[in-house]
Amino acid sequence: MSDKGYFGPYGGRYVPEVLRRAVEEIEAAFEEAQQDSSFQKELMRLQKEFIGRPTPLLYAENSSRFLKGADIYIKMEGLAHTGAHKINNAMGQALLAKRMGKTRVIAETGAGQHGLATAAACAKLGLDCTIYMGAVDVDRQQPNVATMELFGAHVVPVHTGSRTLKDAINEAFRDWAASFVDTFYIIGSALGPSPYPDMVRTFQSVIGFEVRAQLAERQLTPDALVACVGGGSNAIGFFAPYLDTEIPRLIGVEAGGRGPAPGDHAARMTGDGARTGIVHGYKSRFLLTEDGQVAPTHSISAGLDYPGIGPQLAALGRSGRIEFRRAGDQEALEALQFFARHEGVVFALESAHAGAAAIALARSLPRGKVVVVNMSGRGDKDLFITAPYFRPTEWAAFLRRELEALQNKEALRRQAPAGPEVHYG
Amino acid sequence: MDEIRLMAHLVAGYPDVSGCLAAAIGLVEGGASYLEVQIPFSDPSADGPAIQNACAQALAEGYSVAQALDFIAELHIRYPNIALFVMTYASIVVTPGVESFVRTLARRGVSGIIVPDLPFDADEGLDAACRREGTITAIPVAAPSMRAERLAHMAALGRPYLYAALRTGITGKSTTIDEETLRFLGACSAGGSRVLGGFGIRSHAQALAVRSLVHAVVVGSAFVEVISHANELYHNSPRARDEAIRTNLAHGVQELVSGPP
Repeated sequence: MSDKGYFGPYGGRYVPEVLRRAVEEIEAAFEEAQQDSSFQKELMRLQKEFIGRPTPLLYAENSSRFLKGADIYIKMEGLAHTGAHKINNAMGQALLAKRMGKTRVIAETGAGQHGLATAAACAKLGLDCTIYMGAVDVDRQQPNVATMELFGAHVVPVHTGSRTLKDAINEAFRDWAASFVDTFYIIGSALGPSPYPDMVRTFQSVIGFEVRAQLAERQLTPDALVACVGGGSNAIGFFAPYLDTEIPRLIGVEAGGRGPAPGDHAARMTGDGARTGIVHGYKSRFLLTEDGQVAPTHSISAGLDYPGIGPQLAALGRSGRIEFRRAGDQEALEALQFFARHEGVVFALESAHAGAAAIALARSLPRGKVVVVNMSGRGDKDLFITAPYFRPTEWAAFLRRELEALQNKEALRRQAPAGPEVHYG
Repeated sequence: MDEIRLMAHLVAGYPDVSGCLAAAIGLVEGGASYLEVQIPFSDPSADGPAIQNACAQALAEGYSVAQALDFIAELHIRYPNIALFVMTYASIVVTPGVESFVRTLARRGVSGIIVPDLPFDADEGLDAACRREGTITAIPVAAPSMRAERLAHMAALGRPYLYAALRTGITGKSTTIDEETLRFLGACSAGGSRVLGGFGIRSHAQALAVRSLVHAVVVGSAFVEVISHANELYHNSPRARDEAIRTNLAHGVQELVSGPP
């Protein structure tokens, strides 16, 4: 837990006064809900029935044998409903929104995973849902937009700033400043003004507690945990049971992108690209220009290119409890292929960064050591990024055929006289 | 007299270096008593779309904080009797260091600084730095949604100025002045601060309704829109554009201050 909203030098509640009351109300409601067994019981029921928890812990025996080092275990968080860990937090906060009597939910999303999870949770709980998404992301993540709309969410493209995740966050804050009387803002990562970092960690800590129990069933204790870190919600939830212990090693993996030049990566804890700053309501390590403007970033995975990092992770990096590494675009793609071939598991590109670090770590450790990597998401969503990379010619031909078929169908529909209407029910 | 004391807001670097100077000249010629210069930040989440787009455009042209500081220094030399306030976001203030940023502003003749995402009770040393300089003051921003206790606490600080955000929400849309708003403005001035009432005011009539309750009325989005309009009309001729910005703003301010002719 934070100390009055701070984790060492980071965290805090740097919001304009207009938003302060809304944030304080959430803090009070969250603390109450934590003590309320009926809330916890309902959340556990939804985790089991809707999210599909517990997610499995897979012993990656082929990979471990091949690497001739430590035993790798994969926490299959990507098997959670909607394809990633995001649903743990989205459902927790949506349930809290309902408990507070809010009727409308807003959320930001980058790649679309948090938007998808929030839209699904809102559909399930009967809450009106608006998702802010940068216009650039809307264009490149159409499959997720389509599914969010299928869940009944209103997806609003954000045309300001860099038209990506950080601008979607700004727009959500803007909406909230005028709407908080009936609206709850579900932040998707372990960042933002206090109490969000504590709240998101709490809802995501189900990952870490399950891992601890699943290892204990096999009479194992972990030597190292490895997770990718964008804002850091999967990492902090996965690491949560071990933050105050000395073992296991906790390893966070940032996006190394194309290389170390400014704008080519999103590494805040490794290298010297980051500064301590205050953005989006909290103090942490950010990629900023000399003037304090938020700097451009790059990663092949949309979920790792946010310019800041959750304040608790930044503090734990500073204290040395968490070791930070980086993995580049290429390493992530190679790790994705590695686990697909050896284990029949497709990591999301974000999680593949953790996979790459886990491979390197397992190689360097003796047999019998236990390395657990969190596969925070599954890779189905990345088909439009991975297919052009792994099979460029075939994929291009496929897309051309699909487009032609669609255009022919459209042309036929326009030529043909209207057929009989179909009525359901 | 139905004259309004006006604090006119403008974005440094928008539409560009010469255009924002033309804007400042127009605002002062029209009769503004105070200038609030916003130093653009990449993520201005407390601003409405008009100001946000103005900031984004200035930054897209490569406008830097150093240029904004030069602009401010020039304004102070031109108009030593107009009080200059700076509005910006925490990141711009804490990145060079609060102390150093405040000193830089003070040396350029700025008399107040407004940072909406630095709360008065967690301001990273902003108020202390201003007190050390002596010629500049930190101006807290109040909102009607604040708890009564907190607002009372803020007002009791007795800062020279207090910025009151009149509408729950974001700059740009219209303001209606109801009982609740009047109570809010009363609470803002309880500690003797001169209240700068802002957000959403677009007409002399609206300004008249709050005039007796505030020290000065702040107008921002409406002027940014005037600049945007001139910028679109005369995008091929910077000189004609600057002239349009200056005269249109001067008229706009005049009308706000004194009412329609």
